[in-house]
Amino acid sequence: MSELFVELFSEEIPARLQINARNELKKNIENFFIENQIKFNENFNVYSTPNRLVLHIDKIPNEIKLGSEEIRGPNVNAPEKALEGFIRSNNTILEKIFKKNTEKGEFYFFKKESRKIKVSDLLEKNLSEILGKIAWNKSMKWANYDLYWGRPLKSILAIFNKKPLNFVFNHLNSSNKTFVDKSLEEGMKIFNDFNSYLKFFRQKGILIDQDLRKKKIQNKINEIINKKNLKIEQNDRLIDEIVNIVEKPVVIVCDFDKKFLNVPSEILITTMQTHQKYLPTFDKKNNLTNNFFVVSDIKDTKGFVKLGNERVIEARLSDAEFFWEKNKTQNLVKQVDKLKNINYFKGLGSYFDKIQRMRKLSSLISDDFLISKDKIEIASSICKVDLMSDLVGEFPELQGIVGGHFAKFQGFDKEVCLAVSEQYLPNGMESKLPKKMYSIALSLSDKLDSLVGFFGINLKPTSSKDPYAIRRMAISLVRLIVENETKIKLKDLIVYTCSVYRDQGYEFDTKKIQNELSDFIIERLKNYLKEKKIRQDIIESSTFLLGLDDLLKAYKKSLCLNKNINKEIGFETIAAYKRSLNILNTEEKISIESLGFADPGLFKNDYEKKLYKKINDIRKYFLGIGKDENYEESLKILSSIKNEINDFFDNVIVNDEDIIIKKNRLELLNMLCKTFDNYFNFSKISA
Amino acid sequence: MVSKIKKKTLSFQDTIFNLQKYWSKKGCVILQPYDLEVGAGTFHPATTLRSLGPKPWKTAYVQPSRRPTDGRYGDNPNRLQHYYQFQVLIKPSPKEIKRMYLNSLSSIGINHEEHDIRFVEDDWESPTLGAAGLGWEVWCDGMEVTQFTYFQKMAGVECKPVSVEITYGLERLCMFIQNKKSVFDLIWNDDGITYKDVFHQSEKEFSAYNFEYANTDNLFKIFEMHEEETKLLVEKKISLPAYDQCLKCSHVFNILDARGVISVAQRAEYIARIRELTKSIGKVWIESQS
Repeated sequence: MSELFVELFSEEIPARLQINARNELKKNIENFFIENQIKFNENFNVYSTPNRLVLHIDKIPNEIKLGSEEIRGPNVNAPEKALEGFIRSNNTILEKIFKKNTEKGEFYFFKKESRKIKVSDLLEKNLSEILGKIAWNKSMKWANYDLYWGRPLKSILAIFNKKPLNFVFNHLNSSNKTFVDKSLEEGMKIFNDFNSYLKFFRQKGILIDQDLRKKKIQNKINEIINKKNLKIEQNDRLIDEIVNIVEKPVVIVCDFDKKFLNVPSEILITTMQTHQKYLPTFDKKNNLTNNFFVVSDIKDTKGFVKLGNERVIEARLSDAEFFWEKNKTQNLVKQVDKLKNINYFKGLGSYFDKIQRMRKLSSLISDDFLISKDKIEIASSICKVDLMSDLVGEFPELQGIVGGHFAKFQGFDKEVCLAVSEQYLPNGMESKLPKKMYSIALSLSDKLDSLVGFFGINLKPTSSKDPYAIRRMAISLVRLIVENETKIKLKDLIVYTCSVYRDQGYEFDTKKIQNELSDFIIERLKNYLKEKKIRQDIIESSTFLLGLDDLLKAYKKSLCLNKNINKEIGFETIAAYKRSLNILNTEEKISIESLGFADPGLFKNDYEKKLYKKINDIRKYFLGIGKDENYEESLKILSSIKNEINDFFDNVIVNDEDIIIKKNRLELLNMLCKTFDNYFNFSKISA
Repeated sequence: MVSKIKKKTLSFQDTIFNLQKYWSKKGCVILQPYDLEVGAGTFHPATTLRSLGPKPWKTAYVQPSRRPTDGRYGDNPNRLQHYYQFQVLIKPSPKEIKRMYLNSLSSIGINHEEHDIRFVEDDWESPTLGAAGLGWEVWCDGMEVTQFTYFQKMAGVECKPVSVEITYGLERLCMFIQNKKSVFDLIWNDDGITYKDVFHQSEKEFSAYNFEYANTDNLFKIFEMHEEETKLLVEKKISLPAYDQCLKCSHVFNILDARGVISVAQRAEYIARIRELTKSIGKVWIESQS
C-alpha cells in the first residue's frame, strides 16, 4: 500500500478559487481511481494555501490486476494486412492467434493473459490529463504559455510510494522538488513523502491543512475574547476567506480611536470586514468596540504589522467619519428634487420618477396593510436620497442603511427610518427578512416597480444571463409574501404598477407583462420551494395552474403535504385520489361528456351512496372554510374518505354492463377528484 | 553612526530614484512620463500599445496621473486629482517577477520579512481601454501599495505573450515608508521641501477648474474634435498620433465627468466611444508590429 502526494506550487491563488480548485481536483482524482478500479482511501483530502494546492491519498495498491480477456481482431476474410496489424498492435505472434465463430461471422482472436499494471505507470500516464480537467471559475494565461491556471503555476511535485512520478504538464515537468520559500521562490527541496513535507512546513509555522489553520485562528481569537470579555460575529464567509489568504496565521489584536464609535457601526464594520478583512469585536451588549482582529501571515516581531494596520484603519475611518459628518446634516427632503438628475435605468426614467411610482404603489399597499398612508409616502419619497451621498459612493453596499441613519439623525419617524434602512431586504434566499409592515411595504413597492419596469422594457433574464439580478428580485418578492404571510393581491398590484408607469408616459404591453411576470414569479416560487427541500412532485402539484394571488396558499399547502406525505392523512388522501383517477384515466375514452355530478337515483347499493354522502360532506367543508384554512385539517378531512372509498372499490365494479350505471359510477369518482382539487391537483404526486 | 544613516527617511524623490535604479538593473528601458494628461500609468503608450503584439518589451517610468473626480481642493489627506504612479511593464511576464517585485520593495526600505506582504485578489478592467487582467493588489501591513496585473486583453485583443504590469502608488508607498498621515506632509527631498510645497496650490486650483470652471460646452466640442481626428489618423494607419488624440478624448471625458454634466446613460456611451477608438488604434498598431 502506498501514498500519492502531489503539490502544485503557484503564485497566490485567491481564496474562492482555491476552494474551487480543491473541489475540482478532488472530484477528478476520485473519478480516475474509480474508473480504473484502483482501491484508495476514500477519506482523502485536498489541501491548499495561497501558493500550494496539495493532494494526498493513501492506502493505494502498488499494482492492479487486469483479468484476461479475448480481443477480437479482423474477420477471417479480411486482407492479410489487417491480421498483421492486429498482431503487431497486440505485441504478439501468429501462433497465439486463433479463429472463432461469432454471431457476426468468423473472426481472429487473441487472448490477452491476465496481467499486472503498476499504479505508478497509470498515474504518470494520466495525471497530466487529470490536472488539465480542473474547471477553474476564473483562470489566466501568463508569459508565452498556453496553460490556463488560477495564477501562474511554477512547479509540480508528484510522489507515489516515495518515488517521484515523472510526467509533463504543459510547459512543466513534474519532480520530487518544490519551492520552500513562497515569497522569493528561492531554494528547492526534495520531499519523498507527505509526512516529512507536513513536518517540514509545520516547523516553519506553516499549516498546509486549511482546517488546521481555521482551528488555530479560532482558538486564538476565542482565547482573547474570553479574556477581554468580548464577542465576535459569526461570519463564516470572512473566516473562510481569511483562512485561505494566509499560510501561517498570526492573530493580532489592534484598536482604533474610540471617537470613531460615533459613526454608525455598519460603516465601521463594512470598512473592517469588506475592505480590510479584519474581524470587528462586540461587547456583551452587542455594541461594537474599538478592538479588532487582524490575521497576519507573519509574526509581528517588530510591531510593524500592528502599527501599519492601525494606521490604515485610522485613515479609512477618518474618511468615513468626514463623510458621515458632512452627509448627515444634508436635508433629505430638500434633496429629493435632485434625484431627477440621476438615471435609474435607461428607459425607466430617473430615480425621481421611480420614487413617484413607489409612492403610489406603497400607498395602495398601505390600504391592505392598514398602515399610515402619510408615513409610507414619506418613506418612499426619501428612500433613494442616500444614493447621492458621499458615503454610499464609498460604501455602495450600505445603500439604504446609510439613508436610514440620515433619516434617524434628521428626526424622522422611527418606522420610516427602519423602512428606508430595510428597503433592499431581503436580497435573495439567504438574506435577512424585514418584519415590520412599513419595511415590507416599501421593499415590495421597490421590487414590484423594478420587476414591472424591466419586463416592460423587455430585459427579462435569459436562462444563462441575468445581469440585473432580476431573479433575485423576484425570489425576494416571493419571500416577502410567503414568509411574512403577507396577504396582498399581487395581480392587481402588477396591473396598478403598469398603470402608474403609463401615467408617466411609458407605454408597456400590460397584458404581456402580466402573463410573463406571473409565470416568472411562479417559477421563482418553485425554486424557493425546492430550496426548502419540498418534494418535486409536491411542488409541481401545488403550482399547477396557480394564480398569482395564491402564492402563500400554495406555499403553505405544499409545506403541509410535504410534512404529512408519509403520515396517514397524507398517504390516505393520495391513495383515494389516485385509485379514483386511475379508473377515470383508463375509462376516459368511452366516457361521454361528464355532467360533473353523479345521479343518486342510479345508485345500486349502499357503498355508492355512502361514498356520495362522504364526498358531499367534504365539499361542504371546503365551502365552509374561509380565508383561514387550516391545511392540516383539510388533509385530515380528505383522508377520512378512506373507509368509504375502500368499501366502494372492494364491493362495487365500476365497469357495469349497463353503460348508464357505469357512467354514473365514473361521475362519482370524478366528483371525488374534483373535490380533492380544492386542496390541489394530486395527479402529479407519485405515490 | 551606522544607525543614524539607517534611520534617515527615504524622501519622495529618492523613492523614485531607487525604483528607477532597481528596474534599470533588471533591464528595463527607463522612460520619462508621457507628455499628455492620462488617468493612470497604464495609458502611457509604452504600456497600452507595447503590451500588444509579439515583441518582447521591458520598461519602467513615473507617470503623473490625473483623476479629476478625486480632487478635494487639497483638503483631504488621502485624495488628489493629480498623483504619481511608478509603472513597470514586462513582456513576456518573467517567471521570477514576484521575487523581482519583493526585492524592489527592499530597495526602498520595505523588508518582506518584517512586514505582512499580502497578494490580495484584484482583477482589473479598464472599459475605456477595452482591457482586462488578473492579479492582485499588494498589501503591506494592510495598506494597498501596488497593483500587480497579468494583462489578458488590451484594446479588445487577447494578449500573446502576456505582459505583467506593476503599478506602485508612489504617494501611498511613501506615506507608508515615511510614516505620514497626510500626503501633504511627505518629505519631497532632503532639503526640507514637502509635498505640500510642491502640489498644494495645484490641487486647489485644479479642483476648482475641474469642478467649477471647466467650460463644458467647449469640452463637449473638443471631445468631438479629438474623436474625429483619431478616426482620421486611424484611417491613415498612424497609430501613435491617433492614440494621442484618443488620450485627449479620455481626459476631456474625465473633466466632463467631474463637472457632473454626464448622466449615467451618457457615461456608458462615452466610455464605449473611447473604447472603440482604442480598439481601432490597437489593430493598426499590431499590424505595424509584424
